[in-house]
Amino acid sequence: MRWRTKPIELLLLAFFAVFLLYPLAYVFPGSASDEDYAVRLLSFGERPPEVLMILSKARPEAPQVEKVSLPLTVGTFPPARKRNAEELALKLTGAGARADVVRERHWTAFYFQQALGFQIQKREYFPYFQPVPNAPALWECLRNSLLLAAVTTVATTLLCLPLAYWFTRYQFRGRGLLSTLLLVPLIVPPFVGAIGLERLLNRFGTLNLWLMNLGVIQAPIDWLSGGGFIGIVIMQVLHLFPILYLNLAAALANVDTTLEDAARNLGAGEWRVFRTITFPLLLPGYFAGASLVFVWAFTDLGTPLVFNQNKVIPVQIYDQVSDPQRTNSVAYALVVVTLVITAVLFYGARWLVSRQSFIGGGKGAVAASIPNAGRGRTALIYATVLGLTFLTLLPNIGVALTAIAERWTFSPLPESYTSAHLREVWSNRISSLSIQNSIYYSACSTFLDLVLGVTLAWLVIRRPSWLTGFLDGLAMLPLALPGLVLAFGYLTCYSNLNLGGWASVLDPSRNPAPLLIVAYTVRRLPYLTRSAQAGLQQVPPVLEEAAENLGASRWRVLRTITLPLIAANLVAGVILTFAFALLEVSDSLMLAREEKYFPITRAILGLLMRPDDGDNIACALALFAMALLACSLLVANLALGKKLGELFRA
Amino acid sequence: MTRIRIQAVSKQFGPTLAVDKVDLEVSSGELFFLLGPSGCGKTTLLRMLAGFVQPDAGQIFFGEQQVTNLPARARDAGMVFQTYALWPHLTVTDNVAYGLKIRGLKRADIAGRVERALKLVRLEGLGTRKPNQLSGGQQQRVALARALVIEPRVFLLDEPLSNLDARLRDEMREEIRRLHKETGLTMVYVTHDQKEALTLADRLAVMHSGRIVQVGRPQEVYNLPVNRFVAGFLGDSNFFAGTVREIRDGDAVVETGLGPLSAARVNSGLAQGMKVYCSIRPHAFAIRPAADSVNAFDARIEQVTYLGEQLRIRAVAAGQALELASVPQLAGSLQAGENVTLGVPADQVIILPDTN
Repeated sequence: MRWRTKPIELLLLAFFAVFLLYPLAYVFPGSASDEDYAVRLLSFGERPPEVLMILSKARPEAPQVEKVSLPLTVGTFPPARKRNAEELALKLTGAGARADVVRERHWTAFYFQQALGFQIQKREYFPYFQPVPNAPALWECLRNSLLLAAVTTVATTLLCLPLAYWFTRYQFRGRGLLSTLLLVPLIVPPFVGAIGLERLLNRFGTLNLWLMNLGVIQAPIDWLSGGGFIGIVIMQVLHLFPILYLNLAAALANVDTTLEDAARNLGAGEWRVFRTITFPLLLPGYFAGASLVFVWAFTDLGTPLVFNQNKVIPVQIYDQVSDPQRTNSVAYALVVVTLVITAVLFYGARWLVSRQSFIGGGKGAVAASIPNAGRGRTALIYATVLGLTFLTLLPNIGVALTAIAERWTFSPLPESYTSAHLREVWSNRISSLSIQNSIYYSACSTFLDLVLGVTLAWLVIRRPSWLTGFLDGLAMLPLALPGLVLAFGYLTCYSNLNLGGWASVLDPSRNPAPLLIVAYTVRRLPYLTRSAQAGLQQVPPVLEEAAENLGASRWRVLRTITLPLIAANLVAGVILTFAFALLEVSDSLMLAREEKYFPITRAILGLLMRPDDGDNIACALALFAMALLACSLLVANLALGKKLGELFRA
Repeated sequence: MTRIRIQAVSKQFGPTLAVDKVDLEVSSGELFFLLGPSGCGKTTLLRMLAGFVQPDAGQIFFGEQQVTNLPARARDAGMVFQTYALWPHLTVTDNVAYGLKIRGLKRADIAGRVERALKLVRLEGLGTRKPNQLSGGQQQRVALARALVIEPRVFLLDEPLSNLDARLRDEMREEIRRLHKETGLTMVYVTHDQKEALTLADRLAVMHSGRIVQVGRPQEVYNLPVNRFVAGFLGDSNFFAGTVREIRDGDAVVETGLGPLSAARVNSGLAQGMKVYCSIRPHAFAIRPAADSVNAFDARIEQVTYLGEQLRIRAVAAGQALELASVPQLAGSLQAGENVTLGVPADQVIILPDTN
């Protein structure tokens, strides 16, 4: 580690400062401070008695006119309500006085104490005291969220380990096709899935009606009740497992199989080989994937909302933030707690990865011959993958059916079909515009991500210093950051600042497009830079040195040696980035306020609100979005001229 | 001490026949070499011995035990991999102790045996290092220790020296010879380096296209190759196409481009008029021989290269390029472009069948 500062590093730092640190810093004080509003009376005007009357109503101990010195500050209650103060000021002005609203911020530990503090209670027996949380409900939320994330991560791991093992260690017919199917959950955003799931599982949804028609049940069952912990886990696992699978498969493909052979040669059974050799070598890749899954599950807002589970941290934050009356609240404390927990996990995982990074002995060492999976194992793989795909698609079948349904009430399947809704996607102003917008936003943000991500990854792996480490930490921060919070930060920060000159393009109330693009970029940068880093870690530096030795410039080395070698990782990263950006929910909902700037997700929500056929058009648009995602995956597939599954094997 | 028997073993990978009906016996305690160019099937054969590759046909025995269908983990065949395959996440000690832990030894026994194994390969005191903190030679020694410490029935080495530089290779060659002597293990050693095979082997098998071409002691195979491939693969040789003109009392005369060549050694089955090759090693030529010597012919020196312990000379005779080796003392007296007389003693001319 040396002190070394390069212009490029400073540029990155500036980017993060403007688009990550400052908006966050703008949110942060809310967790430890309170805003009070008061009315300042500047003059009594022509009708002092009237003003005094109003004052005495507002404050019973109102002073006599003779004793008042102007300006007079009149407090309102509760002090944190802006509207109370505004109303009072309005009344005073109406009585002819001059008055304005003043805002005061004072620092307090109150919200932390209220949200997550303890009180010590005496007890009769050892150890004679007991900590009692001030807000047991919030502690319950925290426990729920942690448990949810942990169970989801474990379940995802149990699902992905055999999948990754099968797909990297065995050859079977249709391997490429099946590994493509495994990526389907990526093109199926949970936000869209939620609509379909609701359609299938609500009280008079397909499942209930079917079961009732079959006579299995008499009255509809409320599938989404009771917080649906298991339901949330299943939804999250189904959505998140490809992320872990991709990481594990890439890591597994890079484990030299002779290392496993060496253990077998010394008498180790398969389970022992896995436990003592393969898994420890997989750990970096596993942690990269598992930490993503954990944090995602921990900060997931959409799925718990669909299942009506509000006793989790993200929903608590969402509920409080979306209430415009409360500018300060416990939500900020919860955001900070979320950030701390996720940051600890992240930096823990990173530390483990850095401790265990092995630069492999070159790719030639990986044995070329992959054994055939037997008939039985092939059948098992097919059953698992097809079953998973079906489960993932199920909610979206609901979406698809809604999109083409003409009449669908109180019957398991639509009564008649029409293509009118699909056609309306084109003619409807909101939906057709939103498609253009989304593609434009996503493409711009993906390109930005690619440039930033590769640069950053290269700096982190090849030119490590405290500064690049810090930059990397910043780039990873959005993973720990619920999109809602970042978007809220952007919105408040860049709306309230009076930006002049060219900087005013950032003002979301004028045109949210630049901020939307930046929000997508910042939120998805971790995936791209992670992919690039994982690739770079496995490219021995000597390959780059060889090119430099032959006289190639830095840029040329990057272009002709490094990038081609990590192309598979980059394509994986770009696809993830583009796909996620296209169906980004929270940023889009927060930032896009005008129809002409709506991205697809915001348009879907807007259409859902419309009466009559709003549902159907929304679903048609969702269907279209999924098709768009599928196309982008396909294009990447064709461009690389390889099977998509092979893409992710370095 | 275990004898290895390989009976009619074959293995096919897709369209290529990697190992083609190989029969082989390795005596107990022998240091046996499988020698051949890359792609000849020697590594596949070794991996079949280790149990990583399942033969399509044939049987393998360790001693009296049939191991053909035994999984790799149950074979007790210590193997040293070409890339060493040291586990990067484990220390040297943990690498070496791995097999002993699997065998359920007590902790104290493991420590003692690991220590002895590391001592055997002269790595005392490096047990706490990770593999990537070791030099190539040291990694090689760890790989040897890891395979030796389990006291395997047979010891398999897959091109163990190919990743080392020349000096280390010489050193490790001696090391392996010493280990073989001290342990008395049955060792099968795969290499494409004929020098390794000739210097170390008790016996060796030369493989070509999945088949064993010749088995024997190093001198036998070197001096009496059965065909042009073996002669060319084991050391350099000059080949002259010719026809057998006459055979009398163990001698043969072959009509070649250089004129008639007398050969002292005759394979049975040689007949007059047969198309053959005469093989002459570079060092078999006498430069400016005595006037009455047999097999004398004229040649023109093209190039003389001084290699320290010998001279390498390129010459042309009757339109054919020759490769000669000579003592370095002749360096001053030989000039490129000079015409000299060369002679070959009859017992240095080896007649090989023209199998192609």
